[in-house]
Amino acid sequence: MNAPFFKFGLFGDNVSLVVAFLIGIGFGFFLERAGFGSAKKLTAQFYFTDLSVFKVMFSAIVTAMVGIFYLSWMGIVDLSLVYLTPTFLVPQVVGGMILGVGFVVGGYCPGTSCVGLATGRSDAGVYLIGIVAGIIVFGEVYPLVKDFYLSTPMGQVTLPALLNIPYGVIMFLVVLMAIGGFAGATWVEKRMAARKGA
Amino acid sequence: MTSHAKVLTAQDTVAHDGTAGKPQPYWSPYLAGFGLGLVLLAAFVIMGRGLGASGAFSSLVATGINAVAPDHARANEFYGEYLGDGTKSPLMDWLVFEVIGVFVGGFISGTLAGRIRWSVERGPAITDGKRLVFAFLGGGIMGFGAKLARGCTSGQALTGGALLNVGSWAFMMMVFAGAYAAAYFVRRQWR
Amino acid sequence: MHRSSGWLTTNRTLGLLLGLLGFVALFLGTPYKGTTATLDATELARIVEREVDHVAPETLADWIIQGKADFRLIDLRSETEYTGYHIPGAENVTLTALADHGLQRNEKIILYSEGGIHSAQAWFLLKAREYNGVYMLRGGLEEWKEKVLFPMLPAEPTPAQRVEFAKMKEVSAFFGGTPQTGTPAERPAVVTALPKLDMPAPASGAAPKKKKKEGC
Repeated sequence: MNAPFFKFGLFGDNVSLVVAFLIGIGFGFFLERAGFGSAKKLTAQFYFTDLSVFKVMFSAIVTAMVGIFYLSWMGIVDLSLVYLTPTFLVPQVVGGMILGVGFVVGGYCPGTSCVGLATGRSDAGVYLIGIVAGIIVFGEVYPLVKDFYLSTPMGQVTLPALLNIPYGVIMFLVVLMAIGGFAGATWVEKRMAARKGA
Repeated sequence: MTSHAKVLTAQDTVAHDGTAGKPQPYWSPYLAGFGLGLVLLAAFVIMGRGLGASGAFSSLVATGINAVAPDHARANEFYGEYLGDGTKSPLMDWLVFEVIGVFVGGFISGTLAGRIRWSVERGPAITDGKRLVFAFLGGGIMGFGAKLARGCTSGQALTGGALLNVGSWAFMMMVFAGAYAAAYFVRRQWR
Repeated sequence: MHRSSGWLTTNRTLGLLLGLLGFVALFLGTPYKGTTATLDATELARIVEREVDHVAPETLADWIIQGKADFRLIDLRSETEYTGYHIPGAENVTLTALADHGLQRNEKIILYSEGGIHSAQAWFLLKAREYNGVYMLRGGLEEWKEKVLFPMLPAEPTPAQRVEFAKMKEVSAFFGGTPQTGTPAERPAVVTALPKLDMPAPASGAAPKKKKKEGC
């Protein structure tokens, strides 16, 4: 097997930047196709009226998850060479919660705000400036939060490895969860529309 | 002006072109998600890494601080990590190029669907000005949270989610939890 | 309930397909290539005959002196033999520990053992698990000692051989060996003392592997 291609040296750093640009185009394209340039659509998720955020996110996750599983199982891609960000459990939990608050207050996340600005939303542009400010604040207080930032390291660990359950089983459970979630989301949306519309 | 809290339904989130009404409905979320998943899969297969967004902004910040106050930037561990050993600009970074691509891709899709419109996204019960203040605040909160969690929804939730990364799944659940918890308090913005 | 074709919408079809893929995954277990190995015997035989996967001791010595850090050198012998002497920069991994040692498929791996038998067997094991950057030190440690540590001038040397020997004298000195004077006939039957392991640092300091930022 010689994939991931970059890891096997099939092309160098400069070409990888071109690849980054192209992949980014695909990323931004599908985000906009889903309507995620609109803060109203994004935040509707958290008022249960439009659960597209959940549907898009999990469709993407299961597509890539199932795809990389089968490609690796067939010996086309070496999954062990795909980068896994190290887990630092507590900072990620706290950071995630903070991020969620920022999401619904600001109306975007970093990726979607780029799409929002690209389609003319000035609030997305202001949001981006806000992100920069937030990062500067983090950088300036870094010496104070450093210990917390580095706490509870667990290394690069996957759910199957942690729970000692076969990868395929976890994947099956995630697929079930996604399908159930999609069905449930559709039901919730219908109920909300019926309740308010009727 | 009476303000009936207008409740958003799924219909309201269908795109409407600002000019002579030709509503361009968004794609089915499953289809868009599938496309997104394929892009992510391509990143796995070609680069052996996933997507991301917040990292590009960190590189941008580090470059900016370095331009304005280089000694402070070097002394700071956080910026220093993005500045590297000085041989290469932090902007020659995979994520930076990817994020530029996101702008372009979003623009292309928006143009094709007639969805480019200079506007401020907000609900009917709030003014443009207030909305922009919230946008800035939200961005600031999210920027801080993204750095603490070492990623945002694209890098951690999508990428780590697909790779069954423990930290990413924990992160993803907390994002939803935090957003739902805060939603009530900012409902005036959207509804 | 009568199921008309109307029930099977696009979304539901996709959902069923997804469910099927997930269900099949239950039986496939792990996506990582584990300890099972597959061989394409003809292909491997061809590779063996072409001897493209051999590395000469002199070449390896050159790489070490230049401070090249783009490969992993694996010593397959026992721990006691390894502590006695090993080629500088080598990691001690026995055959049984090879699978768990954390060798990546995109790394250049050079194997050696005392002679060449174990390294050849380890080569097969790795090749069968789809490692494509695996090489063997030709002649193993025996040839390393003969060519690098204790180089010897042949009985009636040609000018080319003299030049070669002059170069090998320096290489040998670098590794703490002793160039042999005299003829092959006079080569001592007993191996001369192997050099101690405190080697000088490589000539051009090997650049520490820059950790590529791959986070988000």
